[in-house]
Amino acid sequence: MLKPVDRHPSSTQAPVERIVLPNGITVITVENTAADIIAARLFWRAGSCWESRSQAGLAHLLATTLTKGTATRSALEIAECVESVGASLGTDAATDYFTLSLKTVTADFAALMHLAGELMRAPSFPPDEVALEQHLTLQNIRAQQERPFSIAYNQLRAAMYPDHPYGVPIMGTEAAVATLTRDDLLTYHQQHFRPDNLTVSIAGCIKPAAAVALVTAVFGDWAAPPTPPLPPQQSPLAIAPSTHKIAQDTQQAIIMLGYLTPAATEADYATLKLLNTYLGNGLSSRLFVELREKRGLAYDVSAFYPTRRDPSQFVAYLGTAPENAEVAIAGLQHEIQRLCQICLPDEELQAAKNKLLGQYALGKQTNAEIAQLYGWYDTIEVGIDFDQTFQAAIAQSPPSKPKQPLSGISPPRPTSPSSAPPPASQPSPSARRRRHQFHD
Amino acid sequence: MTGRFPQRLPQPSNILYRTTQTAWGRSASIASHQARSPLSPLQQISPTRTAAIAFPGQCFRLENNLTVIHQHLPATPVAVVDVWVRAGTNAEPDDWYGMAHFLEHMIFKGSRRVAPGEFDWAIENSGGLTNAATSHDYAHFFIATAAQNLSSTLPYFADILLDAAIPEEEFARERDVVLEEIRSCQDDPDWLGFQALCETLYQNADYGRSILGTEAQVCQRTPNQMRCFHRTLYQPENMTVAIVGGLDQETALALVHKTFNPFGVRSECPPRTRHSLQPLTDIRRTELRLPRLEQARLLLGWLAPGSTDLDTACGLDLLAALLAGGRSSRLIRELREERRLVLDISSEFSLQQGASLLTIAAWLEPQYLEVVEAAIAQQLSELHHHPVAPAELARAKRQLCNDYAFATETPAQLAGLYGYYNTVATAAQSVLYPERIQRLQAEDLQALATQYLHPDCYAVVTLRSL
Repeated sequence: MLKPVDRHPSSTQAPVERIVLPNGITVITVENTAADIIAARLFWRAGSCWESRSQAGLAHLLATTLTKGTATRSALEIAECVESVGASLGTDAATDYFTLSLKTVTADFAALMHLAGELMRAPSFPPDEVALEQHLTLQNIRAQQERPFSIAYNQLRAAMYPDHPYGVPIMGTEAAVATLTRDDLLTYHQQHFRPDNLTVSIAGCIKPAAAVALVTAVFGDWAAPPTPPLPPQQSPLAIAPSTHKIAQDTQQAIIMLGYLTPAATEADYATLKLLNTYLGNGLSSRLFVELREKRGLAYDVSAFYPTRRDPSQFVAYLGTAPENAEVAIAGLQHEIQRLCQICLPDEELQAAKNKLLGQYALGKQTNAEIAQLYGWYDTIEVGIDFDQTFQAAIAQSPPSKPKQPLSGISPPRPTSPSSAPPPASQPSPSARRRRHQFHD
Repeated sequence: MTGRFPQRLPQPSNILYRTTQTAWGRSASIASHQARSPLSPLQQISPTRTAAIAFPGQCFRLENNLTVIHQHLPATPVAVVDVWVRAGTNAEPDDWYGMAHFLEHMIFKGSRRVAPGEFDWAIENSGGLTNAATSHDYAHFFIATAAQNLSSTLPYFADILLDAAIPEEEFARERDVVLEEIRSCQDDPDWLGFQALCETLYQNADYGRSILGTEAQVCQRTPNQMRCFHRTLYQPENMTVAIVGGLDQETALALVHKTFNPFGVRSECPPRTRHSLQPLTDIRRTELRLPRLEQARLLLGWLAPGSTDLDTACGLDLLAALLAGGRSSRLIRELREERRLVLDISSEFSLQQGASLLTIAAWLEPQYLEVVEAAIAQQLSELHHHPVAPAELARAKRQLCNDYAFATETPAQLAGLYGYYNTVATAAQSVLYPERIQRLQAEDLQALATQYLHPDCYAVVTLRSL
């Protein structure tokens, strides 16, 4: 007969070690000898939250140009250096951070870290490459208009964050990107790419001491400037309930309801994460069962609540035939209002906890996932312990009587059934990859 | 490949790329022993060929003819079960369009013992994930969960697969969901383009038929037809159960043996007329005009052998990498970086059981459609006439072999890979991929390019705005 497996999902991971080097670089390491692979994530406290609206898209343009030249290497030489050893190296800008991702087989790791150091410390931003990437970005921004989901979501975030960087896509706006210059890139790079703004997170087949020695060899001689790093943009947030529509001739209408909700550092974060899971995560979620399984209103129906350093958004959405749009809006509103009015039965609350914790564990399997998670937590200043405290908060919340905390959340104020029965879809591959990035 | 649920959940397996097709898998892992199962009713399938790299899992055939593939990964607390059924779109009777995919949805509506939604609840309530997908060669169904929970969730999973009830009321409701899925795809120009390319390449032969079907076709399906399709095809000889993760062999086999039993009473659905594939003898062109398209698309496709010829498949995969696998590859370098004619360009080889395909897709301004198509043909001629330089060849090989290694970190990746290979070839073939890639020489690639990637014989689809 079956023997119970005596193992707990989180018990096999090696300890997470974190140290700060003399020049201010944070190094996080997790040794994992399961495969002959090492993943690294270099996080900078930079990203769209550090750019003004008139320069929206600057961090993204930096990401597309950073790997295209250094003092000693051309774009092609950099690509050949990476591709000839079959490694992957990429740069990406997000709202709350800027990251360089690296994955290699163990033997190639040191060489590629040295290349990453060169890219990060001495990019040359060749004018010709900047012009190319700027042109392609503008095309990519236009291509977003092909996709109903993007049109609806862009409309929603613009309404929720009229003056905050969260209000525009990471690629920026056409108007702002068109005016960006190489000098803007150089300034942004100089302001933010400094050792005391950097967290290096490494997971894989490498001893913590060896990882720290390598980071020291690559970045140790880099001195932090005397002035403190620049803080992110400070933007007041307020939300007035509102409705926004864009009419287009498409097969489906996309409907989104968004609510301004706490940042990752705030007290209600874990409870809302749990509520979001209950409402819209997975095939047994409330929205899936009520609107898809029982009523056949949608194929894609879901909710998300990204983990953010600034106040985040709690969004429920679906795609449905245009003639069902009114019914679908009423259905989404009903389900969200219900959350404010009822106390979840113990059984459902426990199920949501199990789902959230189980899926959280399943999302921490590969070296890249592990390096990403701890580096990201460190960068958005919730700390690497957040991995444990968040899981504990979910397991314990609400303490024993579920009723109080869940009904105690102030009623969400709907902003924006944002209905965009829009146009076609899939723009460029890079935009495709980005589609669900906000689901952190 | 078309899934039950969009994108939110991790892809059931990494061997299923992007759009609608299955693609080549990438995995490596080094051997272990071949232990004989302690359980008497099981017959172990011996490896089919002698190879430098032994298959790290074990394959078994149960008494009822069900194939089970198991690999124990002691370091992981996760277990994945991926069930692959040879009941894809190619198995549909002549007029039963959309059946395989619709059934994949209906499986989750339960059995006599499992109510609609009960399985989803059971798996997610225990912290697990589930999803499913359908393509031409298969439908597959996937659960990932903490290993210790498998004994309580697997019985539900097996029961809904073997004893699907297909209740009438649920059928009508789920049809609306499938119609919404079709609508969302019709708002997606890349989906429309790829669909058109497959129809242009395969015409009325296998792999040309839409997996989703049209709204009108789906509305003609009935619960009785679907039950017949299910009872005909969801039988043990058509099914591979891949189990990978923190579960030892004895436990895993006992669990499958107990739960994947008994199978339903057999039925026999109407036949499918097989139309032979018309080889490409010139350029077959389809032009689509779509509203509100912001950039044009150029999709080119070439036919290739099926999974019986994996050496050729690997060679074409390597050619796809040489053409568009990274910034230093030929097409990206020329057309994106140097001539700046495309927003992006990619090339994929997609392995299919009967007839594979190699595609090249570009996103570009419409005025460059012709010049880019000509430039691609020129690059193919180049491959015909000149062997690939050693450094370039080594780089592409290294890339593919490392990608393969990167794609074997999780139990889900491995289970998907083994299940898929066992559906179109044999599971043991999956780990020979790096060896096959390494064996390829410049003259092999030149010969394969000459034979399969003709610059004057291909299917092409262009998308422009209205």
